[in-house]
Amino acid sequence: MTDAETILIVEDEQQIREAVAMALGCEGFVVCEAGTARHAAVQAAARKPNLVILDLGLPDRDGVDFIRDFRAWSSTPILILSARSEESSKVDALDAGADDYLTKPFGIAELLARVRALLRRRQPDLQAAEPTLQFGDYLVDCVNRVVTRAGCVVHLTQIEYRLLAFLAANPGRVLTHRHLLTQVWGGQAAENHQYLRVYVGHLRQKVEDNPAQPRHIITEIGVGYRFQP
Amino acid sequence: MKLLQQPGETIAYLWAVPGTCLGSLLLSPLRHYVDLSNVALLYVLWVVLMAVTYGRGPAVATALLASLAYAYFFVPPHFSLAITEGQYLLAAVIMLVVAMMVSHLTSRLKQIADFASRKSIESTKLYQLTQELAGATTPETVIDLASRFLAVSYRASQVRVYMPSEFNSTSGQTNPALLNRCAERQELLSRPTSQGKFYALVPLMAGSGNQGILGFEVESAILGSQDAVEHIETVASVVAVALERSYFAEKARQTEIKHAAETLRNSILAALSHDLRTPLTALVGMAEAVAMGKVPVEKHRQTLDAIRNQAVSIGQQMTKLLDMAKLSAGKFELVRDWQPVEEVIGVTLQQVRAQWHDREVTVSLARDLPPINIDAVLIERVLWNLIENAIKYSPADAPVDLRVNAVGEEMEISVCDSGCGIPAKNGDKLFDLFQRGKSESGIPGVGLGLSIAKTIVEAHGGTIAARNRENGGSCFSIRIPLGNPPHFEEMDEPS
Repeated sequence: MTDAETILIVEDEQQIREAVAMALGCEGFVVCEAGTARHAAVQAAARKPNLVILDLGLPDRDGVDFIRDFRAWSSTPILILSARSEESSKVDALDAGADDYLTKPFGIAELLARVRALLRRRQPDLQAAEPTLQFGDYLVDCVNRVVTRAGCVVHLTQIEYRLLAFLAANPGRVLTHRHLLTQVWGGQAAENHQYLRVYVGHLRQKVEDNPAQPRHIITEIGVGYRFQP
Repeated sequence: MKLLQQPGETIAYLWAVPGTCLGSLLLSPLRHYVDLSNVALLYVLWVVLMAVTYGRGPAVATALLASLAYAYFFVPPHFSLAITEGQYLLAAVIMLVVAMMVSHLTSRLKQIADFASRKSIESTKLYQLTQELAGATTPETVIDLASRFLAVSYRASQVRVYMPSEFNSTSGQTNPALLNRCAERQELLSRPTSQGKFYALVPLMAGSGNQGILGFEVESAILGSQDAVEHIETVASVVAVALERSYFAEKARQTEIKHAAETLRNSILAALSHDLRTPLTALVGMAEAVAMGKVPVEKHRQTLDAIRNQAVSIGQQMTKLLDMAKLSAGKFELVRDWQPVEEVIGVTLQQVRAQWHDREVTVSLARDLPPINIDAVLIERVLWNLIENAIKYSPADAPVDLRVNAVGEEMEISVCDSGCGIPAKNGDKLFDLFQRGKSESGIPGVGLGLSIAKTIVEAHGGTIAARNRENGGSCFSIRIPLGNPPHFEEMDEPS
């Protein structure tokens, strides 16, 4: 990419907006700001940002509704900023199509890391030609449905394979329990959270060096899982 | 009450009238073998039997009929009411008088016995009511019990209690004038409603004055009976005393709650003023020092780091205050789910590592631990608080141990450190709000962590305990019931 990437910050608290804008500006991103959902919709349509940073507690509209409308026409990644009191709307927002979240107060270093991860993931055309996924010393061959670690085959069951392949295809993104269950098991299993926990447990046993302190399949407590390559 | 006795009375008069006639007719062929005086005694016996069984009315009827039958069937000339001999007439009259007297006496005795047994039932019921009222702690329960009692005993409907404060705003079954008059005169008042019923008002008088007025609708017959009215007034006085007591109990509880809230507010103020204002003062000081150019450039980085750490720490205290506010409002609901305990521990350790990069936390998990039914978000707060405490109160190079075991029907998670241990005098207060190991110490915190942990663990039906280790340091353990994990069917095939 030769052009600098554009990031839209939607946040009604001016101090947070300015702090985030300053940090992103220093990193070389083009930043545009909005304080309301209405202004954000106008900005998003006009500037076509590469990433949206969205505060869930907007004065004029529910953030989750904004995400639903936005997802109707754009697949641009969305990073949510949420206060601690908004636990449940965080999950709703992720289910509605947001990609990741940060809980206030957050550090700038962490924000930048998340932003970079989301922007990296946003360029699927670079990887589309390769039907393989790679992380650590693992290789997932999506054609032959085989997972190898440093050349040795890792024996996975069908569901474990589907789970791992889906996680690995969405690195850095927070996947809610519901999202994973509908993607891997199908819609009828959407509420069977313990199903998912058991299989994630199995998968960690086979993939992680220390299943109690995982490196790749990270638990986002009360929300879902995040895959870290 | 009269209506109810109707079928019984019909049977009584059936025995009295056709019974006497039929008996006499059947007995009449024996008139030559039985002495006339014995026949008279037989009739007296019959009258007594009737009096004992059915009371005065049927007995009097039987007596009259018996004298007639005696004269008709047995006194010569037979089958005629005419009595020729003077002594037969005397016998018939004596028989009638004796029969009347006996019937009168026996029926009175029966009345007294009936009255006594009714009174005994009433007092048993009243005693039961008193007992039930003794257990009632709120005015609502008292009123509810009284309503049920009146409904069962007197088939009263629309029972309610008018509080003195609502006398002047009442409408419907009664009106302010009637209520005020009832309260002034302190006696039962009533007014007719539809279908021959009456709406009665009884003042509820107790030691500390009028507790209100009891209103209910009953049949007019009940208010006409002196017995019933006296009984209702006794019930009213019992209810009044119970109401008075429940008001006092309620008042005492309110005062207690108010007192607890006051104490809590004072502790929060104390905690905020010391434990948050101190780091805030430092924060403002450092920021101003940098802004005014008092800090040499080479120390900027270091000062800014200190400012950041201080702010993060204040943020964490705020989180705890918010957590506690949410928990103590009592409205939080556990979002429980069966899950492996490793998952919660993994998340906690991840957070610990983010904050204390090189602090060593050793983990030992028992093998084959069953999944546990917990609210992961809240249990994570518990573990974080325990580990944070362990790290804060022990030397920087000492590892913190985290152990998970199944103990009987419970899962035990222990966090142990090798710090200074728990001072003996603080033992039982450890889990109270705003209690700190050392007040006014340099260790940041507001004394909420353990209190939060305790609230959450107890909401899970578990327990939390603290003890000192033998060779220095302390151990905090939580225990959560294992329960019965649902059977999980795996429908999976090798790929």
